[in-house]
Amino acid sequence: MLTWLILLPVLGALVVLLVPRRRSEVILPLGTALSVLPLALAGYVFAVFEPVADYQFVERAVWWEPWGISWYLGLDGISMPLVVLTTILVPISLAASASITERRKEFVVYTLILEAATLGVFMALDLFFFFVFFEAVLVPMYFIIGIWGSERRRYAAIKFFLYTAFGSALLLAAIIAMAVLHASQFGSPSFALEDLMNLDFGPTASVLLFCALALAFAIKVPVFPLHTWLPDAHVEAPTAGSVLLAGVMLKLGTYGLMRFNLSLFPQVAVDWVPVLAVLAVIGIIYGAVVAIVQPDLKKLIAYTSVSHLGFIVLGTFALTSGGLQGAVIQNVNHGITTGGLFLLVGMIYDRRHTKQIAEFGGLQKVMPLYAGFFLFMTFASIGLPGLNGFVGEFLVLVGSFTSLPVFAALAAVGVVLAAIYLLWAYERVFTGVPEKEENLALSDLDAREVGVLLPLAVLALVLGLYPKVLLDKIEPSTEALLDHVEASTDYEVPAPGRVADVFLTGGGR
Amino acid sequence: MTFAQATMIDAPVVSWLGIAPELVLGVGAALVLLIEVQWKPSRTALAWAGGVIVVVAALFAVLLHVRLESGTGIDPLPFAGMIVLDGFGVFARYVLFAVAGLGLLAAGRMVQEIGTRAAEMIALMLLASAGFSLMAISAHLMMTFLGLEIGSISLYVLAGFIRERGNADEAAIKYFLLGSFASAVFVYGAALVFAGTGNFSLRGVHDYLDGVIVLQPGVILLGLALLVAGLTFKVTAAPFHNWAPDVYQGAPAGVVGFMAAIAKVGGFAGLVRILVSAFPELVDDWAPVVAAIAAVSMVVGSVLAIVQEDLRRLLAYSGVAHAGFILTGVLSGGEGTAEVWFYLAIYTVQLVAAFAVVAAVSGPSGSRSPLADYAGLVQRQPFLAATFAVILLGMGGIPLTSGFVAKFGVFSDAWAAGYEWVVIVGVLASVVAFFLYLRVIITMFMDDPADAPAAAPPSIRWVMSLAVIVTLLFGVFPGPLLDLAGRALPL
Repeated sequence: MLTWLILLPVLGALVVLLVPRRRSEVILPLGTALSVLPLALAGYVFAVFEPVADYQFVERAVWWEPWGISWYLGLDGISMPLVVLTTILVPISLAASASITERRKEFVVYTLILEAATLGVFMALDLFFFFVFFEAVLVPMYFIIGIWGSERRRYAAIKFFLYTAFGSALLLAAIIAMAVLHASQFGSPSFALEDLMNLDFGPTASVLLFCALALAFAIKVPVFPLHTWLPDAHVEAPTAGSVLLAGVMLKLGTYGLMRFNLSLFPQVAVDWVPVLAVLAVIGIIYGAVVAIVQPDLKKLIAYTSVSHLGFIVLGTFALTSGGLQGAVIQNVNHGITTGGLFLLVGMIYDRRHTKQIAEFGGLQKVMPLYAGFFLFMTFASIGLPGLNGFVGEFLVLVGSFTSLPVFAALAAVGVVLAAIYLLWAYERVFTGVPEKEENLALSDLDAREVGVLLPLAVLALVLGLYPKVLLDKIEPSTEALLDHVEASTDYEVPAPGRVADVFLTGGGR
Repeated sequence: MTFAQATMIDAPVVSWLGIAPELVLGVGAALVLLIEVQWKPSRTALAWAGGVIVVVAALFAVLLHVRLESGTGIDPLPFAGMIVLDGFGVFARYVLFAVAGLGLLAAGRMVQEIGTRAAEMIALMLLASAGFSLMAISAHLMMTFLGLEIGSISLYVLAGFIRERGNADEAAIKYFLLGSFASAVFVYGAALVFAGTGNFSLRGVHDYLDGVIVLQPGVILLGLALLVAGLTFKVTAAPFHNWAPDVYQGAPAGVVGFMAAIAKVGGFAGLVRILVSAFPELVDDWAPVVAAIAAVSMVVGSVLAIVQEDLRRLLAYSGVAHAGFILTGVLSGGEGTAEVWFYLAIYTVQLVAAFAVVAAVSGPSGSRSPLADYAGLVQRQPFLAATFAVILLGMGGIPLTSGFVAKFGVFSDAWAAGYEWVVIVGVLASVVAFFLYLRVIITMFMDDPADAPAAAPPSIRWVMSLAVIVTLLFGVFPGPLLDLAGRALPL
């Protein structure tokens, strides 16, 4: 079944390729319709997903025996939410791409291939295929930024590609090193995560390998100070590119940190918690402060990602129930809210061809529906109780407070700053009297645009009011991960840090 | 005493079947020339004749492969041990004939353009294939040299084939002078190895080194160093790569891909066979040197390729980097032979295809191919641009292409052999290499179209389609080819 989840977008891309050139008007609706198929399958997976710690829907087939590589897929509570998020965001991005008029066929094909590769990353339990998909994601995204981006698209595309490719080069070396080590300790190479978890790395090698993996994932997240590719890529990418970049591609990094760094090198992870926590908190505050002063709306939202992703990293390395659960659910929340904000910025850009905050003002009189959606997504992003952002940030803060109180206190500043940068931006764009003549003629959202935004808004509300629907399925896996860390190190989760249900009833509702 | 006994002399067993593929190519080359003189056939017919000859040679290679696998009626060391028939040679021949076939296809338009000299060109391509094929199945240093020279001299002529053009002479002369020098270095190395071990045959050298404790191996090591130096010239590894950009630029575009690819296959076949079957005892002496050559090649090739403004020079420098990547697979002694062959098979097919694009865009006899000519190629020739992009991604080693499996294989071998630092240099160099392939893709996909002409005749479409199949199919399902390469071991 999971193989089909990867194959469906690929087959969809092939179908789109067959559409004759003169029928280009059907490409976007067709691509959107085809991308609903993986969503339906993912919906089924979500529905029958059992709240247990084991990997589910596991598929395994030998790919190349002598190298110990197998096609090995599976889902647990950490990866399943990301798979569902990916399949939700792709149809939405495609439906929102009506403004792309040139080379539509290529655009849809790249987007669907991007979806297949991303799903592959989240489902692969064999590090060879994890790397294959991790790197394969870069190619379609490179084209999406480079062909349909704005003025400095080429610079942004190359910078994006090389930054992340540099990280994955070390990841490749680390993966090879682990397989070779497996061959020397167990007689045959293996790339399966569960096999590599049995390895005895030794103190030096485990630190080096941890660093190689952490660097690759930290570039992807991006963790301060490796974030400089992100504003460029986000700002230059077309709307769909920004949505997918922020919504799912950044999660490749946080997912990798949680899945591989924590399970393969728990001792190093425990030792290095201060370093990663410091970087995460710097990212939270730095991203927020820089976002405040951005004159460009899209760049502002790009920097909020640096801040929000800092929360996820902090939650991951807080090594408590709340922190880990918060990190996983915040992965999803950030995809929904930031995806929604990028869609909104894209919609106003299509109308006004500018993203400068100073160009706007008083828009809520001209476009009340648009302003309403923007305010809703802003609140969700800030973490207003009742909306999804609150659940994630609250869990992360409470979770990290038990193990890293100072960092949690500093991170809480980020929540305040978030309110400043987003509400101030809202004030400048939407309130007051519309002065510029161009702004007076702007049309409000049409039915298609509402259809694109509504699912995200509903999700933000549902996850805000009743996060249990997702947290129940996440919890066994994060608890198992914590058990693994505790069992393989002398680390103990601080006393209240394991009482996950207290946070659940306290927060979110 | 009967008559039969009286005439019996101790002559070597001549097993013509053993070298049937090379014979077909050599005789075929002569036939093409004779037919041309006698009947003046159309150029299309000549090109087809060349293709048929390569196919027949390949069929003989298959026959030999089957015989060898079943172990019936084949002498593995015919011609008094000058030739060796083993899995290594089987795979080498497949790669060489694939390159020759694709090279002929890619040269189809040039055959049409060069008029009466088409037969010469086809004959030279066939001879070059025969020469490098002999090199790959040689079990004797002199035989290796013979094959090397048959192949190289054919290529010298091909490099200067369009005499009307100024830099064709330059390319041919440069290639000839430096190539001859490299061949001389190789012969000198062979002589020193003979002086040190008393053997020219690879098996003999191996047995000598295996059985004797050489107290002062200086002569042997110097000889080995010269052998390696001579062959690294052929495979364009640094620091013996300087000729490649000029020669690739000056030689006619229609055959550059063939020239570059076939010399790489032959050179690597010779190099790996010599290192693995004659000198495995000295692996601790030669592996660090090969590691240094590999590292320097990867870095120099990738970095210098970035600043090139001409696609052919770019491909030449990237070829230096690829030579370095392939050499990382040699570091583990014999362990990495399968991965080296996999890499060679994939890369040389991609190389021929890449130069087929150069021929299509810059014209088969042109000498300049500035990157600007490729601007917006996707709008003028979408098929060509799309397939070329796939091949460039494959050369870059992006996952899901066979280029990634190839790089992964050689890097794994080098890591397992304890050359971690070479692998680190390698993965970093491949990131640099991404940049240069992306640069070409950007030019093709994201720039406004140039008004340079670009034609994609059916023959080039075939080359591109086949190369894309090799790039993608073996990227997702490399098993069959890896399995075949896994049996490509020297006897």
